This record gives sequence, structure tokens and C-alpha cells, in this order.
Amino acid sequence: MFRVLLIGYGNTLRGDDALGPMAIERLRPLLPDVECLSCQQLVPELAERVAECELALFVDAACNGEPGAVRTERLSPKPGGAASLTHHVEAAALLELAQALYGRVPQAVLVTGAGADFGSREGLSEQGQQALTEICRLIPQLIQDSSAIR
Amino acid sequence: MPTITIDPVTRIEGHAKITIQLDEQGEVQNARFHVTQVRGFEKLCEGRPFTEMPALMARICGICPTSHLLASSKACDDIMAVRIPETAEKLRRIMNLAQIIQSHALSFFYLSSPDFLLGMDADPEERNIMGVVRKYPAMARDGIKLRQFGQRVLETLGGKRVHPGWIVPGGVSHPLQADQRDQILTQVPEAIRITRGALRWFKGQIESFRAEVRSFANFPSLFLAMANNANEFSAYNGWLRFVDANLDIVADHITGVDYMNYIGESGNDDSYLKSTYFKPYGLKDGVYRVGPLARLNMCESAGTVQADEELAEFRELERHSVLSSFYYHYARLIEILFSIERMETLLQDTEILGKNVRAHAAPNNFEGVGILEAPRGTLIHHYRIDQNGLIESANMVIATGHNNLAINHGVLQVARQFVKGNALQPGMLNRVEAVVRAFDPCLSCSTHAAGAMPLDIQLLAADGEVVDRLIR
Repeated sequence: MFRVLLIGYGNTLRGDDALGPMAIERLRPLLPDVECLSCQQLVPELAERVAECELALFVDAACNGEPGAVRTERLSPKPGGAASLTHHVEAAALLELAQALYGRVPQAVLVTGAGADFGSREGLSEQGQQALTEICRLIPQLIQDSSAIR
Repeated sequence: MPTITIDPVTRIEGHAKITIQLDEQGEVQNARFHVTQVRGFEKLCEGRPFTEMPALMARICGICPTSHLLASSKACDDIMAVRIPETAEKLRRIMNLAQIIQSHALSFFYLSSPDFLLGMDADPEERNIMGVVRKYPAMARDGIKLRQFGQRVLETLGGKRVHPGWIVPGGVSHPLQADQRDQILTQVPEAIRITRGALRWFKGQIESFRAEVRSFANFPSLFLAMANNANEFSAYNGWLRFVDANLDIVADHITGVDYMNYIGESGNDDSYLKSTYFKPYGLKDGVYRVGPLARLNMCESAGTVQADEELAEFRELERHSVLSSFYYHYARLIEILFSIERMETLLQDTEILGKNVRAHAAPNNFEGVGILEAPRGTLIHHYRIDQNGLIESANMVIATGHNNLAINHGVLQVARQFVKGNALQPGMLNRVEAVVRAFDPCLSCSTHAAGAMPLDIQLLAADGEVVDRLIR
């Protein structure tokens, strides 16, 4: 079975930072065979689940780039990226942890949507909405492509 | 006068720095631990409805929000003058135990294990959790798994791993379901296996840390913790008790606002963290410690089978109380074991799935105090409200504040033991950081400050000149 882990992360109380969790909310009912996780930040405890899948997709908001634009980036383990694991780890550092602890790294893609407003409020800006729509179109496509080239 | 600055202090929760003052010969004359950020929660909650306090106060910290939720809710229970349903109390106790497990696992495995496994003198580039992951992956996996166990319990009961909103004034918002209980219980054996393994391993290492045992805040002091009639380990219910270094009781049965007669708070010019002291003895002589070491020193028994076996062995370390703060790490592991065992017992209680989990009432008192044993020690929330139920004033006394004087004593003791100003080595300064880590301070909570927690050590010459500075 081609196991896919989809993690959306960000703070739902900080405007467009909610892009990741909102993408999960929208995609979860559409992707019944995908393990969908929504969280505020990546933590080392996720390494085991990352190591167990074939494809890990990370969805995050970006504060740089043209607001509304969506980027994808293939990830590989980042040596030394997880030196302090108490609060937060980056996606690439999580891959490093999965490799070091469980001896396995999946294919991994980071999908980011550039936000326009990260103020203290709930809900996305117009550009954030635009990025969300694009991310939700892109993710099923990425899953399909990755499982096809496996 | 030369000064060494360690800024920021690493592998602790929050922002701090240490300054070490040298004399003309390069010997350590003084050392101070400074906390460099403030958040001011006591002030910003003024004017808010008291019922908002648990959710608001929990935002002080992302590591121990559950402890603040519990202490705050207990203070609100006091304002409402309600006795919460028995099931709700048991569920709250499970949450507190889960918080102790996840926080202690973080402290031992993530923050301090690099010192034990890789050595105090190891290259700082390597002496971190990734160094442990590379050299001791099984230990790292166990640490992550154990912390995850505590977090999963918090998430299962509270709905969220961080800042769960389930604990409310009057009890908890909804009952536990049978499948949730069963899911937690299936994870208990592995959590116990990991903890016992870590205890075995740590006990085997103590001999190689004799110098640290001798000098890591190893001095007679008072201890403060919650006590109960059975003299068992108590983390949720009870009263406050102070004992001295011989474990003789110096103050007992302290409840409610009475804490103000025994606990004094003194501001500092060079730190946002107040120094808390035993009021009857004054600031100079009223140094006390809280947290795992204090709790294990104070209780006669843990109250669970395996933890009691470990506690008996722990007591053999010294004749009366265990005074070296290096043993905070050891005490933490025993508390994890106790917490898992006690949690299992509570979950097997027939009443744990009861549906009556919340008492409702309007305010019946203008003042409320909630006291709890948080992972790092005694936590006090104290609120006063007006006739509309709005907060007039809030006071929080946090574990790290209680320990501040002892931490400063420890920093000086370790600096005098290890730091040679004329031949400075990184391992010397790491020991100064490590004594702070032994207390597992949470500075965000204690100054009600925000942010990640780096460290800064300064070495000052006799004329005040900064001779060396370590920032990580």
C-alpha cells in the first residue's frame, strides 16, 4: 500500500498562518486513504509517522513571496537541523530525525502558500484564500503523480 | 573586574543569561542567573471575567499549559465555592500526571540527556539531542515515545496536545469515553518499560558524575511541596508544607491565601524573575527548593508499588534528605514512574467514566486560590474579583520563582568548583548551564515571559570588563 501522510501546520489564530490546518480541513473528506494531520507546529514526535509512510506532504504558510502564490519543494533530510527539539522542528529536520531514529525517509514535498496577513485574527485574507484553493487543487495531483512514479 | 557571560543559557525553557565575576587572580567571586524577558500576565488579565482565566493563563507557556489550566481552574472553583464532582477531580488528576510525564520526559531526554550520554566536556556542536540521536538512537526513540505517551493522554482527554480547553471552572467540560480510556491503558506497559530502563541506566551513571553531585546546588535548604494526611506523594490535593534539610516540619497546613504569610517575593534589579523565600526566615535565610527533589524528600511513600521500590533506593543516597540538585534528574524519573502507575489506577477506577463531571455556580467568594504540584514544583494562582466577577488582581507564584535563590546558589557553587578564569574551557561553562538545567526552569512561566529559551554566560574581570562570553 502506498501510504501518504499529509501534515498541515500553522497557527489558526494568526490570519494566513492557518493555511496548513485549513487545507487539511478541506482535503480530509476528499482523501479518505490519506493520513491527514493538522497541528500548530511540527514536533519530533511526528518522526515515527513520517518514517512509516511512502510520501510525506507538508503544507505551510510562507511569509515571503508574492501573496497568494504557491510553491512546491522536494525535501531531503537536513543534517543538523534538529539540534534543539523542544518546541518546533522544520520539515527537513523531521526527515533527518526519521532517518536517524527509524532508518527510513519517505519522498517528501513541502507545499507553501504565501500569505498577506499574519495578524491576530481568524480567517484567511483574499490572497490566502487564493493560495488555499490552489493548494487543495495541487495536493491530490501530487499524490497521484508520486504514486504513479513509484 | 573580568566577567564571563553565558548568553543565552541553552537547553532550558525560556531566555536567560549567567554572569560570572572574577577577581584579579581569575578566581570566581560571584555568579548570577538573570532572566531577560517579561510577559506580564498578571497585569493583562485585570478586568477580564474570572471564568476566562484558565484559558487565558494557560497561554503563559507551551510546555506546561495544563498545569496553569489546573491551578487556574482550582482558583476559580474556590471563587465559585464549589466542590467539583469526584469523577472530574480524578480526570483532572490524570491530566496533571500526564503533564508531569511529558514535561519530565522532555527535561530528561531532550534537554539533559546530551550531558549524561555525551559528557559535560563533549564538543557543544555534538552535545545536543541530535548527538544523542546519532550515538544512542534507542535511548532517543524511548525518550520521544515516553513524551509522546504523556502528550497523547493530554490530547485524548483535552482534545489538544497544547492548550487543551477541557479543564474548566467547576470540573471538566465532558466525560471520558470507554474507548479513550482503553486506548491509554494499552500504552501503559511500554511507558513503564521505558521509564524503568531509563532509571536503571541513570543509576548506573551516577558514579561517573560524583563531582557534579557534590557541587550542583548541593547545600542544606528548606523544601516546599504539597502534603496530605497519608504523607504520600501529592500532586493535586493537599496543603503546603515546609520542611528543613533534616526533614523536620517548619510550617504546615498552609492553605488558601495563607500562603502569603509564608512565601515572600522579592524583586531583582538584574532579572525579571523574582526571588521567592520563606517569609519567617527572611530573604537571606529563607532559601527553599520545590519540584521533584522537594516532593520526594517530603513524602514518606509514593503510594504506588514500583515507584515506592525506587523511592526506597533513592533515600539511600544520603542520610536524611537528598540535597544535591543533580538528583533532580533521578527524582524526575521516579516521578514519571509514579505518574504512570497512578494514572493506570485512576483509569481502572469504575467511576472514571461517570457522566457528572462539572459543577456550576456563580461567584460566591471575592477571592480564590488554586494550588497544584506542577512538574517543576508548587504552582499558585490567586485571583481577586469585583462584584461583577471581573478580575481585580492576580498573583501567580511559579515553581521556577520558588527555586530562583537556589538556582543562584547553585550557579555560584558550580562556577567556583569548575570555572578557572585564566584557563577557560567550554566544559566548565557547560556545567554552569547544566546546574540550571537540573532545576528544569521554565522562564516563560516564571516571569510570565514569552519566547524560546537560549542562554548567555558572561565572565567579568575585577574591573567589570567582559573577559569572555558564551552565547548559544
